[in-house]
Amino acid sequence: MKREKRIKIYVAILLTIMPGFLSGCWDSHELNTLSIVSGLGWDIDQDTGEVTLTYQSIIPSEIESSSSSNEGGGQKGGNPLRAIQLDQDTGASPYEVLSRYAQHASRIPFYEHTQVYIFGKDGVQRGIYPFLDTQARNPVSRPNALMVVSAEKTASDILGVQDGMENIQAFGMAAEIKLSATFSKFPAVTVLQFQNRLLSKTTAPIAPMVGIFEQTGREGKKTQKIRVVGTAVFKGDRMIGELNERESSGLLWAINEIKIGFVTIPEANLEIVKAKSKIVPELQGDQVKITIEIDQESNLVQYNGHQGITADLVQELEKGQAKEIESQVRAAVEKSFDLEADVFGFGDAVHRKYKKEWKELKPRWDDIYPCIEVVIKAKTHINEIGEINQALIKD
Amino acid sequence: MFLEKGRISNFQLSVLIIGFVLGSSVIISPGGEGAGHDAWIACALGLMEGLLIAWIFTALTKLFKDKTLIEINSLVYGKILGNGISLLFIGYLFHLSALVLTNYGQFFKLQIYPATPKTLSLLLLMLVCASTVNRGIEVLARCSLILVPIIILVVFTDTLLLIPHIDLNNLMPVLDAPIGKLLLASHGAASFPFAETVAFLMVLAFVDKPEKGPAAVSRGLLIAGFILIMAVARNVAVLGQMAEITNYPTYLVAQVIDIGDILTRLHVLVAISLITMGFIKISVLFYGTVLGLAQVFNLRSYRPIILPVGILMVILALTNVGNTQEMFDFVNKGYPIYAIPFQIGIPLITLVVAKLRRLPQKGELDA
Amino acid sequence: MFRLLSKKMRRWRPSSSDNQTQAKQNGSPKYLSQNLEGNLQILREALGQSSDVIIRDMKINSNSKADAAVIYIDGLVDRNLVNHDILQPLMFNLQVIKDNVKERHSSLIDYIKSSVLTVGQISDTKDIDTVISGVLLGNTAVLAEGVTQALLIDTKGWETRNIEEPSNEVSIRGPKDSFTETLRTNTALLRRRIRDPRLTFQSLQIGERSKTDVAVAYIKGITPDNLISEINQRLERIDTDAILDIGYIEQFIEDSPLSLFPTVGITQRPDVVAAKILEGRAAILVDGSPMALTMPFLFMEGFQNQEDYYARPFFSSSIRWLRLLGFILSIYLPGTFVSLTAFHPELFPTQLLVSVAAAREGIPFPVAVEALLMLSLFEILREAGLRMPRSLGPAVSIVGALVIGQAAVSAGLVGAPMVIVVATTAIASFLVVPYADAGALLRFIMTVVAGFLGLFGMVIIQLEILSNMAALRSLGVPYLSPVSPLNLCGLKDTFLRAPLWAMDSRPEFLDSPDKRRQSPGQMPRVPQTKPNKREGQ
Repeated sequence: MKREKRIKIYVAILLTIMPGFLSGCWDSHELNTLSIVSGLGWDIDQDTGEVTLTYQSIIPSEIESSSSSNEGGGQKGGNPLRAIQLDQDTGASPYEVLSRYAQHASRIPFYEHTQVYIFGKDGVQRGIYPFLDTQARNPVSRPNALMVVSAEKTASDILGVQDGMENIQAFGMAAEIKLSATFSKFPAVTVLQFQNRLLSKTTAPIAPMVGIFEQTGREGKKTQKIRVVGTAVFKGDRMIGELNERESSGLLWAINEIKIGFVTIPEANLEIVKAKSKIVPELQGDQVKITIEIDQESNLVQYNGHQGITADLVQELEKGQAKEIESQVRAAVEKSFDLEADVFGFGDAVHRKYKKEWKELKPRWDDIYPCIEVVIKAKTHINEIGEINQALIKD
Repeated sequence: MFLEKGRISNFQLSVLIIGFVLGSSVIISPGGEGAGHDAWIACALGLMEGLLIAWIFTALTKLFKDKTLIEINSLVYGKILGNGISLLFIGYLFHLSALVLTNYGQFFKLQIYPATPKTLSLLLLMLVCASTVNRGIEVLARCSLILVPIIILVVFTDTLLLIPHIDLNNLMPVLDAPIGKLLLASHGAASFPFAETVAFLMVLAFVDKPEKGPAAVSRGLLIAGFILIMAVARNVAVLGQMAEITNYPTYLVAQVIDIGDILTRLHVLVAISLITMGFIKISVLFYGTVLGLAQVFNLRSYRPIILPVGILMVILALTNVGNTQEMFDFVNKGYPIYAIPFQIGIPLITLVVAKLRRLPQKGELDA
Repeated sequence: MFRLLSKKMRRWRPSSSDNQTQAKQNGSPKYLSQNLEGNLQILREALGQSSDVIIRDMKINSNSKADAAVIYIDGLVDRNLVNHDILQPLMFNLQVIKDNVKERHSSLIDYIKSSVLTVGQISDTKDIDTVISGVLLGNTAVLAEGVTQALLIDTKGWETRNIEEPSNEVSIRGPKDSFTETLRTNTALLRRRIRDPRLTFQSLQIGERSKTDVAVAYIKGITPDNLISEINQRLERIDTDAILDIGYIEQFIEDSPLSLFPTVGITQRPDVVAAKILEGRAAILVDGSPMALTMPFLFMEGFQNQEDYYARPFFSSSIRWLRLLGFILSIYLPGTFVSLTAFHPELFPTQLLVSVAAAREGIPFPVAVEALLMLSLFEILREAGLRMPRSLGPAVSIVGALVIGQAAVSAGLVGAPMVIVVATTAIASFLVVPYADAGALLRFIMTVVAGFLGLFGMVIIQLEILSNMAALRSLGVPYLSPVSPLNLCGLKDTFLRAPLWAMDSRPEFLDSPDKRRQSPGQMPRVPQTKPNKREGQ
């Protein structure tokens, strides 16, 4: 009897669990029911606040590499210009649009591979808070996605540009932004970084700006390309201004995000090997003084003059470099003072060093900020001067 | 002692404790609320408090070797009062077990499998724990010997992969949080998860070398504590201030991993491998519950009650909380206070009473 | 409803009464009588009038009646032995026998036994059953008129397979002999490797009708005694019709009849058995089977191969890791692929995801079904390849490759990534031979569960299997030793293969009374010699 009872219990458990299995797997999505979204574009109407969402999704069959499609007939080959498709949808709030798409599209959007979030210029000036909250609250996609502002009017403009070299345009754009950050031109900002800047009540969020360039190729054929053109500066969730190329570089110098790149001075071109910077705050009574210390090493890659390379000349070049760097940073600082936006994170630096005083300073930071005394000290060192030590044309 | 014939070694005990402490803490970071980016300091302070509490209850087991808390209570307070207190303790273990299930259930439903009903995932998890408890404490210890090193490896790899994203500035300034909040948070960290090792009062009886038991417990706590402190510090360093806002920092942090575009989006892998720690924690608590019940009611074996208790556990886990916010509220605010009588109260008072009554007397050791 | 089912099941179970005892009660005599003809008649009936039972009568005293007979079963005996060493001495020396018997006043049988028959093993018996079973075993029985004893002479000499290369466990460096179906040959193969006098073979006969010889091999003093007594107990408990193969014994005495994993090791190679006995295990050999059992058997032994010890340590350690990797792959790969495709596409790198997604366009089945289809197809192929008549072998492999590989993909039935996954799984599954069957089952379970619940389901099932394995014991030794319970010494031979000069003691978990295997500190060193006087100049 005991054994029978046990059998009864086991079968009862089995019968209880089985319907769970038999009724289908709730979370399983066949790959061909998913549409992989590579980039999202958000446009918010200035007046009504309506959200327009542009999806760029990947069509896998068009990406097929040439080798496997040989038997299926030549038609199956990948056509790079058709590897992505754009869809648009409009609604009153971001989440509404996100779910609306899911209702009348043939496939469920899959955001885990989204690499880029683009915001139209208009929307950004109105404030992107609804989007930010949706993104943080819902586990929709990764914190590594890049935040980008469109220099054109809308985000969909950018998403529609087919670059030709990259199959999937959003990935190409992401790669380009990351490359420009590596080359120390413009920052690449992930969602996480943006959120952190937002959370710190004094630091201003930034995001790179992307615009369309027209290029005339062979036979006068015009092709459009995407380029990173500036850095957008936010206050809270609204964009209040932008930094141009020089100012963006200066910003990167100050916040220790210089990786590789070039410094161009009238006499020479120098390639950056290593660069480090530190923001050192100092509190003198009520006056905040910030010293930006920059340490840089570089190689001489092009010399415009006709002299031989001597130690003195090298020193001069170093000084010239330091001046150039300092002026870039100064340009960025001035612009940020203009915009009254602490893009450098000076507030956080003061907080870290002066715990107690910060409590008092924080609420007044907006007023204090433009009055900060900023001292920029750049130290450069030229490592290598290249293969030749004399000029080709001597004076 | 015919209820459990198995014996575990001290090494296995340490490993079991590590698995237990890492249990749900890998999902819900300890010391979170209120301490801000000093959460890791709160965690460290909590560890110390936990070690103290461990010292208390291992002193109890040193006094009464080979006896589980139920038997100790009967000896110290007499059968009726002792069983009453034991039942309260068992209730705590049972509730805690259901809480861990709730934690996992919520997390899974929210982040990993939104469409699967919680009942199914909790039921499956409970069934695995039930079948392991059915096989005895030795089997549980052996499983943990394999699972815990793997998970430690996962946590370390996680941290290693995040090194490019770590910004130590996020941890500064140190000791920024107001002292009051810090102490509260550290007590929170102590009660969850460090002092929960009080559940091992039901397991320490089966160690083969009881004199080395307390050292093993401390070892396990220290190792697990360091791992947790490292994890919490890393979370803050990578996520900055998002670490305070987000509900599941370890999960968010895993989403940031990005090496060469191949090792990305590993968060699901991380989360799922962390179920194994939940398995260990729930199994230990489950074991304590059924063993305790069997001892209080003088049953011949705890096997028949495993399934009913398990099902009740799942029911409790499902009905426990209405939503995630309630759960977090309880974990952060209510639980640290609710746990005090069980984690500190019962062991301490029992120890004091035992010493006052000059127990154990020679004859009672071999019951 | 259950009661009804179980009652019905009970009726089907045969009654456990012994069929043999009924036969015995038929009143046949137990002992030989003095009447030769009578004895022969009884024996003829008992042996069933088969044509291979040869009863050869002779005349020793020159009377008209036959007064001696030799009984043997043709095919089981070595005919030369019977002719030259039994019949010849008996028939050529008739007069000598007669005289000697008269002179010495000893019985005929005694004289024949002690001085006439030039054979090695000889015994006498009065019991008819012993005679019958002896003849059936391949002995020759000699009976004489007026004598109640019969002589049983060991004349076993049936056709047996030569010692060949092992078919299932190939070795490159090591010896290439394998067990055959004859017990004596196998024990000899072991004796040649272990010339220790304490190597003991304990024989039993198991099986009512097969009376199979079973030998337990161990080294007294190295193998713990309680192990041997436990094995003997289990063997003696077996009460069955026949033991046709060592697999029968395995299934009767194993510790884990309901588990996926074997707790008894099987091997074809005498060097493997010898090594295991030397570590403190015991082996079981069965007449009629070219395999040997070793007990206890732990999980980690499945990853050990005899080749590991004949090659050098670094290489062997890497191969061990490769095996572990292969095993893990063969179990988890299809399931992981299914769960990633269906539940967690984010775990794929984007480019890979795009390729996989492209491959899945137009495939009618859900990915779990596709995986199960391919796995089943693979198992069918494998089984068919095993059983197929050898002449058709090449055809099957061509058909298999063509059908599965090319056509299915082109027809859009399965995707190319799936073919790769299953092919890799298939090959990897052969890396660890003892777990090929268990691995196949596990693979299926994992894939099914992956189809339902993705990675979460796989982890849950994995935990359950781990729990199951952790609870297993093989003859008292925990199945997962030396990993858990942790045994640092034992780890020398699991994930790594520590150099031979480092393995000084036998594995601890086997609890041998004699732990020392070799003297410590035998790492080969360059000998410190005095510098050669001529070199410096």
